[in-house]
Amino acid sequence: MGTENPGRQQFPPARPVATPFSVAPPQNMMPFSSSGPVVGSEASGFRPIPPGAPQPMVPSSTHVVGSQASGFRPSPITRFSDPSVPSPPTANVPPIAGQFQRFPAPHFPSTVQAPLSHAPPIGQPLAQPPAPPVSFRPRPQIPPVPMGSPPQTVNPAVPSLSAPYSSSDSMYQAPRPNFQSSFPGYVRMQSNADSQAPPIPPPFPTHQGGYASSAPPPSSYPYLAQPGGYVPHPPVAAPLGMQSRDQMQHFGSGPPSGSIQGLMEDFSSLSIASVPGSIDPGIDSKSLPRPLEGDVEPKLLAEMYPMNCDPRYLRLTTSAIPSSQSLSSRWHLPLGAIICPLAEAPDGEEVPVVNFTSTGIIRCRRCRTYVNPFVTFTDSGRKWRCNICSLLNDVPGEYFAHLDASGIRIDLDQRPELTKGSVEFVAPTEYMMRPPMPPVYFFLIDVSISAVRSGMIEIVAQTIRSCLDELPGFPRTQIGFATFDSAIHFYNMKSSLTQPQMMVVSDLDDIFVPLPDDLLVNLSESRSVVEAFLDSLPSMFNDNANVESAFGPALKAAFMVMNQLGGKLLIFQNTLPSLGVGRLKLRGDDLRVYGTDKENMLRLPEDPFYKQMAAELTKYQISVNVYALSDKYTDIASLGTLAKYTGGQVYYYPSFQSAIHGEKLRNELTRDLTRETAWEAVMRIRCGKGVRFSSYHGNFMLRSTDLMALPAVDCDKAYAAQLSLEDTLLTTPTVYFQVALLYTASCGERRIRVHTAAAPVVADLGEMYRQADCGAIVSLFSRLAIEKTLSHKLEDARNSLQLRIVKALKEYRNLYAVQHRLGGRMIYPESLKFLPLYGLALCRSKPLRGGYADASLDERCSAGYTMVALPVKKLLKLLYPSFIRLDEYLLKASAQVDDLKRLPLAAENLDARGLYLYDDGFRFVIWFGRALSPDIAMNLLGADFAAELLKVNLKERDKEMSRKLMSTLEKFRESDRSYYQQCHLVRQGEQPIEGFLLLSNLVEDQMGGSNGYVDWLLQIHRQVQQNA
Amino acid sequence: MELLLWALSFFIDLALMASTFYQLVILTDLEADYINIYDTASRINRIVIPEFIVQGVLCAVFLITWHWFMFLMTVPLACYHVMLFLKRQHLFDVTEAFRFLSAEKKFRMIKLGFYLAVFAIITFRLALSVFNFLSDAEDAVHLF
Repeated sequence: MGTENPGRQQFPPARPVATPFSVAPPQNMMPFSSSGPVVGSEASGFRPIPPGAPQPMVPSSTHVVGSQASGFRPSPITRFSDPSVPSPPTANVPPIAGQFQRFPAPHFPSTVQAPLSHAPPIGQPLAQPPAPPVSFRPRPQIPPVPMGSPPQTVNPAVPSLSAPYSSSDSMYQAPRPNFQSSFPGYVRMQSNADSQAPPIPPPFPTHQGGYASSAPPPSSYPYLAQPGGYVPHPPVAAPLGMQSRDQMQHFGSGPPSGSIQGLMEDFSSLSIASVPGSIDPGIDSKSLPRPLEGDVEPKLLAEMYPMNCDPRYLRLTTSAIPSSQSLSSRWHLPLGAIICPLAEAPDGEEVPVVNFTSTGIIRCRRCRTYVNPFVTFTDSGRKWRCNICSLLNDVPGEYFAHLDASGIRIDLDQRPELTKGSVEFVAPTEYMMRPPMPPVYFFLIDVSISAVRSGMIEIVAQTIRSCLDELPGFPRTQIGFATFDSAIHFYNMKSSLTQPQMMVVSDLDDIFVPLPDDLLVNLSESRSVVEAFLDSLPSMFNDNANVESAFGPALKAAFMVMNQLGGKLLIFQNTLPSLGVGRLKLRGDDLRVYGTDKENMLRLPEDPFYKQMAAELTKYQISVNVYALSDKYTDIASLGTLAKYTGGQVYYYPSFQSAIHGEKLRNELTRDLTRETAWEAVMRIRCGKGVRFSSYHGNFMLRSTDLMALPAVDCDKAYAAQLSLEDTLLTTPTVYFQVALLYTASCGERRIRVHTAAAPVVADLGEMYRQADCGAIVSLFSRLAIEKTLSHKLEDARNSLQLRIVKALKEYRNLYAVQHRLGGRMIYPESLKFLPLYGLALCRSKPLRGGYADASLDERCSAGYTMVALPVKKLLKLLYPSFIRLDEYLLKASAQVDDLKRLPLAAENLDARGLYLYDDGFRFVIWFGRALSPDIAMNLLGADFAAELLKVNLKERDKEMSRKLMSTLEKFRESDRSYYQQCHLVRQGEQPIEGFLLLSNLVEDQMGGSNGYVDWLLQIHRQVQQNA
Repeated sequence: MELLLWALSFFIDLALMASTFYQLVILTDLEADYINIYDTASRINRIVIPEFIVQGVLCAVFLITWHWFMFLMTVPLACYHVMLFLKRQHLFDVTEAFRFLSAEKKFRMIKLGFYLAVFAIITFRLALSVFNFLSDAEDAVHLF
């Protein structure tokens, strides 16, 4: 721990520190030069004294500092002593100054950082970003030195640069508040510090005055403020925010003396997070961490970099990027990002659309980065520096704007691309390979006997008909239909006809498409024919007794119809493909295969036809959504491949019956047809030098090493990417990421959606853990684990997941445990407190759970295909569903939906007198306790209450309670429309349905061969402690 | 006879090396984004089977002519090819191309090295048999 820092950082001798200062002063006002050195001196002085009582000396006078320092490092003293003359810099100090003055004081001792930040300047004092980010993590590791140092670190570099701009900075109020908000923490600390170090004398404040004026500007507007060279600032600002947060608590409770305080700090953060006495089996299971609040988006990064895109678009697994390969190899969790490029934004936060008609889109010449808030303008506005590759680019004449005194473009407020992390550019013709395509929907519908019997055709036809008005892209939208059983039926829907003409092709070996031009028609022109077709479709095949399914040939035919334009292909499949190419065998019923090396083959497409077809479909911009509705095995593993590589989605309705599942299919199909869709898209993620995205996970196909081909994207799809370090050491203080999605909007405009985010580079593992984003980590884990099931046994996938969690916790433990003799306690970072639980939930999720008997193969595969495309929030909800007791809420008239409390997912919370709702985002399960008052059951179910609940449909009845329940359910559904939660009713003790629907999903319970939450934690804990 | 055999295997091995090298170049191009993935796959997949067959033939020729050392040297690769074929992993997978790109490259690199080694031996044997042939001819002349 403590030892680490010095080693890593190679504390540069204090001397270099001095140099920059001597250079700096001339450039700005006196105060800075004076303050800067002081910091430096302190730093140099303290570092070596680990736990010592640092404060007193600082304040007393600079000379004192010097003398102290001299003990360790003679050189700096002389320099420092003279400039330290306090001069009131208050001229441009913002009102905050007062507080500020105090706040730095406690931090002084932090030492470590100061030198770091200084180090870089040696070479090129100003233009080079010092390594500030580095500076803030040392914190935790150097317990002895209690105070947050960063602010100081900042100062030395800052004064020279930012001071001049501070006035202009004041324009930007937005960031300010942040900044201020962080203050209270400091202030409080300050007070502590005061008490502990009374000697803080008058001279000091003046110094701080210096700081204050210098520090706020960078923090308040990190990026824009500096022209070209001064990249360093952002990180500088960052530490402020972070530190304040982290330390607030610690300091609040910390005892006065330095060394103890350091210790306390660790302890306090640990004791919050640790499970006391977890060794003995009698863990209090109630105190275990549970994500009952749902997913919490990381706020820290957004505070540090207010111009980052919203976390709903891009989430990093840790907001602190490791500075070296050795560090990233000690971070055993995945390093990467979850990207949801088209996430639905709440009203008022829509992504602004920017149209560069005259200038063309401004991009970096070398790395092709799009202009973003983090670029800096220099040379009085004639040049801009790319934040990713730091190349100096010319600003095109039409885009030129003067810079004000602080180096900020005067037209900034009219330029959303320079202030917002997410923007959308209208792409000119250079970005088009062909004219933008219209939205195309082609439906391929199975009409064999099982499809007819299940009632699927009727629901599909009705739903499509009801959506015709809402299909995006009117009036360009095109639509087409084909049906198939043992032959393929095409429908001519030319607008001149009154009735659609059906053409049957039964030669499956040599497919041809009759009338290729009239099968895909413009919806607005052929509206009446389309409607006539949809009206007659259900009855057309009413007495079809054909059991065969020529799926492969039909798919090829659909491909031939669509390949001129591309678009969306919706396949409704009810039986196992049995004729022509791509016919599939019944497999997966074989119990003996499980547990052998061939097990994973069941989860791979059986016939290479499906992969080839998928590749071809992607090439022609066709995206496939598969709706599988069979009651028997349909080989989703093979069918789903089509969706996987074309950016589509698999919907699976086992044993579909229109009476029961109709509503779900109707809602999800409606959603699929009406949600805003981006067509013929490609996505690329750029990132700064030294890091590289090495692998991508999700439903898409890679077209080149880093280009994802996405024939259709919508708001419900997220993609994951893993990051790796290319250089052994990162030299920049900040890494930038830019996601660019080039697509055709439904309106026919070609657009580029750009999300930009910055993250600090750190050299400390503890900081990486602190900044970890559990949701993103779990998302990435689930994708990796599901992919692993395709090449390994289920058990291997689960074990490797567990192993990684164990390794991560072990590494974290090694950071702290030795020092504090934590013996039997389990420790983990606050940010990852839910990780073990989500890990357990993941092992219990459908794609990974148990063995042969625990989930059918089709269910496994469809859940796998679905989960790799889910956005973070939705995935977490699926892993740890909400579980709510409803009866009291229903009985009390005054109760509000917001009062409902989520319960831990354990059977012990089930009360036989209660009514419970289980909601995983895909379905509701309502559980009726055995002793539930018959009154409630009567009210909700009416006469059905005695019947077998599986067959009962919950519908609104003319009872107050029933209405309340339905409106509550509707409210839950409204919160996320991507899937429709179908309602399943189950009565206590109704086996096996109860076990199947609910009990097996209570992840905290022991179930079959898998652990309960407590056992799981114990097991992990034991493994962590082994040879720890 | 011997001369003919070595000359034949010389050219076969040369062809194998050429094909492997060609595939390697294509993969490198793909990595550098000079070629699109569909072309890559179709170009590589076109020559995969011929290469397997030719390699099998070479192996068989050694067996038939009872050059057991050369046979034992080439037979593992032939078996590996058969295994790939049976597992249907012999073709370049477009959909997962980039995940396996480095593995595919490594495989071809090793194969190229192997062919080179075989090539060295064959060249040596060829030279030897040419020498023998010539010296036999000379001997024959001397006999007169």
